[in-house]
Amino acid sequence: MKTFSIGGIHPNDSKISKDCKIEILPLPSKVFISVAQHLGAPATPVVKAGDVVKAGQVIAEPAGFISAYVHSSVSGTVKSVGPRKDIAGNNMTHIEIDVEGDEWAEGIDLSDTLVTAIPEDNKEILEKIKLNGVVGLGGATFPTHVKLCPPPGKKADCLILNGAECEPYLTSDYRIMLERSKEIVVGAAIMKQVLGNCPAVIGIEENKPEAIKAMTAAVSELQSAGKAYSGISVMTLKKKYPQGGEKQLIDAVMKRQVKSMGLPIDVGAVVQNVATSLAVYEAVQKNKPLVTNVLTVTGDCLPMENQHNYQFRIGMPLSYIAEHAGGIPESAVKVISGGPMMGKAIANLDATTVKGSSSLLYLTAEQTVRNAETACIRCGKCAEACPMGLEPFLLQKYARNSMMDELEENAIQDCIECGCCLYSCPANIPLLDIIRIAKGDVIRIIRGRAAKK
Amino acid sequence: MEKILVSPSPHLHTRTSTKSLMRDVVIALLPAVIVSVLFYGWSELLILGVSVASCVLLEYLITKYMLKKSCTIGDMSAVVTGILLALNLPASTPWWVVFIGAVVAIGVAKMTFGGIGQNIFNPAIAGRVFLLISFPTYMTDWAKPQGFIGQSIADAFTGATPLGIAKGAGAEAVAGMDYSDMLFCNIGGSAGELSAIALLLGFAYLLARKVIRPYITCSIIATVAVFSGIFWAINPAEYTDPVFNILSGGLLLGAIFMATDYVTSPMSNLGGVIFGVGIGVITMLIRYFGAYPEGVSFAILIMNSVVPLINKWCHTKKYGR
Repeated sequence: MKTFSIGGIHPNDSKISKDCKIEILPLPSKVFISVAQHLGAPATPVVKAGDVVKAGQVIAEPAGFISAYVHSSVSGTVKSVGPRKDIAGNNMTHIEIDVEGDEWAEGIDLSDTLVTAIPEDNKEILEKIKLNGVVGLGGATFPTHVKLCPPPGKKADCLILNGAECEPYLTSDYRIMLERSKEIVVGAAIMKQVLGNCPAVIGIEENKPEAIKAMTAAVSELQSAGKAYSGISVMTLKKKYPQGGEKQLIDAVMKRQVKSMGLPIDVGAVVQNVATSLAVYEAVQKNKPLVTNVLTVTGDCLPMENQHNYQFRIGMPLSYIAEHAGGIPESAVKVISGGPMMGKAIANLDATTVKGSSSLLYLTAEQTVRNAETACIRCGKCAEACPMGLEPFLLQKYARNSMMDELEENAIQDCIECGCCLYSCPANIPLLDIIRIAKGDVIRIIRGRAAKK
Repeated sequence: MEKILVSPSPHLHTRTSTKSLMRDVVIALLPAVIVSVLFYGWSELLILGVSVASCVLLEYLITKYMLKKSCTIGDMSAVVTGILLALNLPASTPWWVVFIGAVVAIGVAKMTFGGIGQNIFNPAIAGRVFLLISFPTYMTDWAKPQGFIGQSIADAFTGATPLGIAKGAGAEAVAGMDYSDMLFCNIGGSAGELSAIALLLGFAYLLARKVIRPYITCSIIATVAVFSGIFWAINPAEYTDPVFNILSGGLLLGAIFMATDYVTSPMSNLGGVIFGVGIGVITMLIRYFGAYPEGVSFAILIMNSVVPLINKWCHTKKYGR
């Protein structure tokens, strides 16, 4: 069984909510849609207070090459356009809409019928992906149409679909692989065609045998549906965190490693999350903009009947979802958006869902409160765990002494912030906290130097 | 939920702590401790008690009254040092000599450098070597195993260790020795050298619990095997054979428990191999050509001193570089 070659850890996968079917959340009375739901420049609002909008209608336009369209997720009246706090508590422009009914914009196919015929014109496909605001849903929310257009001179050798879902607790990707497997395969076929018909591999970790079965069945069933459907395969991967890291997945699937500061396409790889593939399917085949996604409500302290996988619409307040799921458990001290390893601790529960929202994860004090830092005993467990082959014990020492040249020599800029070092440190040294800050400084120095040349 | 906790990722943490690692080392040492107590009786219990108690007490007093920082005895590293020091001494060592060993181990080798994580030399070995040089009579008065069980064993080797005999009378004097005696604690020597099986049990436990990686231990044993194998093949009358060299003296105790000490060994696997080969070669040079019959302690101390250099040379293989 394949896996990435350097480091990695084995936290308990805790997929408590894996058997909870995807439920559709009812609409709240109000949504607040952020214009910054993607990597890159926040979009520019194109509606104003008093405008009547339908679900799926554009309400903000991209403000640069790396940016994305934002659509209304509901029908109703725009109440205001202005600053509101996001999950971190920072102000960002949100479009507030009073929900009235559920009317969708014209040209959007809301039926369940599977459309397998793929448009022949790749330009048309890319335009649809762009116009429907599709961004990567694996965490980084990078605009998908940009990622599907390799720079001149670079060619994709393999499209990797990320179904690893290596973060503990999260089950949304798992559920869509079970419940919407064919649509994901069609999405893969579309992206594969755009990339010049390179092979496509769907990588899934071994702890999800049902998903492997469902995806394999969907692939073989669609085999006859057209040329674009050949050359798609499912690959079982060993369970190891961070298998779903882009660089790690490329190493696991293709046995190739992306050079430092390089891009996956440099080694012929394009990685897309399975949820992104589903969004691509909906955008291209159904003309449906990315206004829904699936998130997991879970945690050890949450009773089984309150565990959920919800299909949500963007702009729903997190507190609304939490309440709908039976409230926040008493013993929870921290709520995470995303997985426990790389997710963000939510500072503001009134913040709303965005395209890339993947979970509301409740952690107890016993699970998450860090113990006091003690002396480094040089056990080397952090270096053993680092999937980039870095030496966190060394980097943190250099960082604490602001030794920028040494930090760069020891490749701090390659850190993917997966958290393996801090997770495995027996002395509770805040390795990643320190390294993350120093990494930002070093990357600024590298960029500054490149700009001078 | 009145207050919401916010902190950077990751939000989960391993259950492994410095304390749990040290506790695992203590558990891994138990077979050797039990065997030594069974075979050496009350005197060994006294040594273990004095050694552990004085190591812990000294660390407590030094952190509290001299360094004036938070006390570190809770991490159990002083307990490990205490047990290792005791296992490195002959069962007949007087209690006050044990105490002096503890003073050197904790007071000099560990705390003067800043306590856990900062010391260059393995504290227990530093203590043992200090005693070996300062009190050679006590330190080479190897008691024949005489404890709760096994009263009349190993008559051929009264008093001296197998290595001591080999040093004095040549390789032929130990040629007839039964290796199963060495596997099962029928030989003279310091307490921890009694039973290879007990030590290997501990090694298996440490590996299974992922406390240590096998590189250092295996490279020491392999180096000793190859080095002595070559000499033995050339002249079996003068040089002892590889199995004898692996099972005798403190080799296994040193290779499993002392050379693998996190703080005083290299961080990388490659560094660990270099470190292990160095220990193996120096050990055999001392055994074959040195003045002492045994060289593991000196070999580990010498290699401890080059660990910073090894760390500087050996880095992990980085992704995409």
